[in-house]
Amino acid sequence: MGSSLNKPELIVNGKRLDGRDFGELRPIKIEAGVLKNADGSAYLEWGNNKILAAVYGPREATPKHLADPGKAIIKCRYQMAPFSSLGEHNRTGPNRRATEISKVIREVFENVVITSDFPGSEIDIFIEILQGDGGTRAAGLTAASVALANAGIKMKDLVYAVSAGRIGDHVTLDFDMIEDNYSDADMPMAIAPRNNELLLLQMDGGLTIEQFDEAVKMAIGAGKTISALQRDALKRVYETKVSQ
Amino acid sequence: MREIVLPGTAISDQRISAENTYFDGAKTRSEVVGLYDSAHNEVIQLEGRWKPRPGDVVVGIVERVGRNGVYGISLTEAVDGLLIQDKYDNARFAVGDVIEAEIRDVEHKRLAVLERPKLLRAGSLMQIKAVRVPRLIGKANTMITQIIELTGCNIIVGRNGLVWMRGSNVAAATAAVLTVEREAHTSGLTERIKSMLEKINGNESRT
Repeated sequence: MGSSLNKPELIVNGKRLDGRDFGELRPIKIEAGVLKNADGSAYLEWGNNKILAAVYGPREATPKHLADPGKAIIKCRYQMAPFSSLGEHNRTGPNRRATEISKVIREVFENVVITSDFPGSEIDIFIEILQGDGGTRAAGLTAASVALANAGIKMKDLVYAVSAGRIGDHVTLDFDMIEDNYSDADMPMAIAPRNNELLLLQMDGGLTIEQFDEAVKMAIGAGKTISALQRDALKRVYETKVSQ
Repeated sequence: MREIVLPGTAISDQRISAENTYFDGAKTRSEVVGLYDSAHNEVIQLEGRWKPRPGDVVVGIVERVGRNGVYGISLTEAVDGLLIQDKYDNARFAVGDVIEAEIRDVEHKRLAVLERPKLLRAGSLMQIKAVRVPRLIGKANTMITQIIELTGCNIIVGRNGLVWMRGSNVAAATAAVLTVEREAHTSGLTERIKSMLEKINGNESRT
């Protein structure tokens, strides 16, 4: 992780290190329905992030004592592949960070998934980070949302997520790994596009109230692009397939 | 006119009651990936699990045989079937038998109580996505009747996604069913299936 002593210059000539403006997203590519065995799936590339999300269910809840007779339960597993980044994540299995991210993502989806139709069952969400380059929880959540819709799970909305933060005095959108490590504040957000409801808000570092407002506004602005990409990916599944 | 809708897509600025939608303030929004048919005001689900309803005809496999004509029937991963036979009904089933039955009642949304069981002997069984079954049956049974007539197979379609078929031309029927499943969201499908099966029939009569 970064320290303030050896902090690199993150803004050069008014641009960020990879040449983006402060409010610019990295290029995003989403594809839905990539895994045949899963009920729903999505593959997402967000800058250098490469993420696979798969959804199974509703299926019988295991272990049985977790089953809720009134609704389906949601389980989420976020995991970084051992080869996904430099160092840090080279051991398989859950760690503190993965457990936390799994929990917050699950709680986002508990707010939008309509669970009353399949009581006693569970919906499994798997998010596998194949290659990580900062902002994987936001990217993973965006992919999982597409996978859930692709599985035909009833939802109120197609959630997206993006992070915003601060480098020096500049409010900045969508950090990559190096910016994530050395920035002054990082704030991932998950938003429901139908009413711009915030479903996830975490913050590392500090923002003034004005900067906070600007960051949220920036995320909602970028959300239009992300939402459109999610919708396109889901519609593309039904475009081409006609025989003869 | 049909268009693809996604979770959260607003269907109407008014509250209209339609399947697979919910009210959001004054608006109506879709809950699923589906086709919105504005003429009939309905959202047809394209993906997802089957929700059992009384009256649905299902195809199931006998999983457990209890005493006095009580059977556990496997329908889908999320829904189990329970068959309690009438005491005057002498038909008995064994584990592994494939049966056709009708749902009398659904308990706790995941246990379907079945009635009027019928043993399906021999034949083969295939599974398709349950949400595509209405398309396979077609409006007023047009699609399935057509497949049965053109292939000469005996086909029984369960709402739970299991399709049982028997006959000399099972391969053609299977191909037709899979095509319907794959292209359920497209229009003009009945015509395409017809020409596809006629082509297969034509090839066979020539050889």
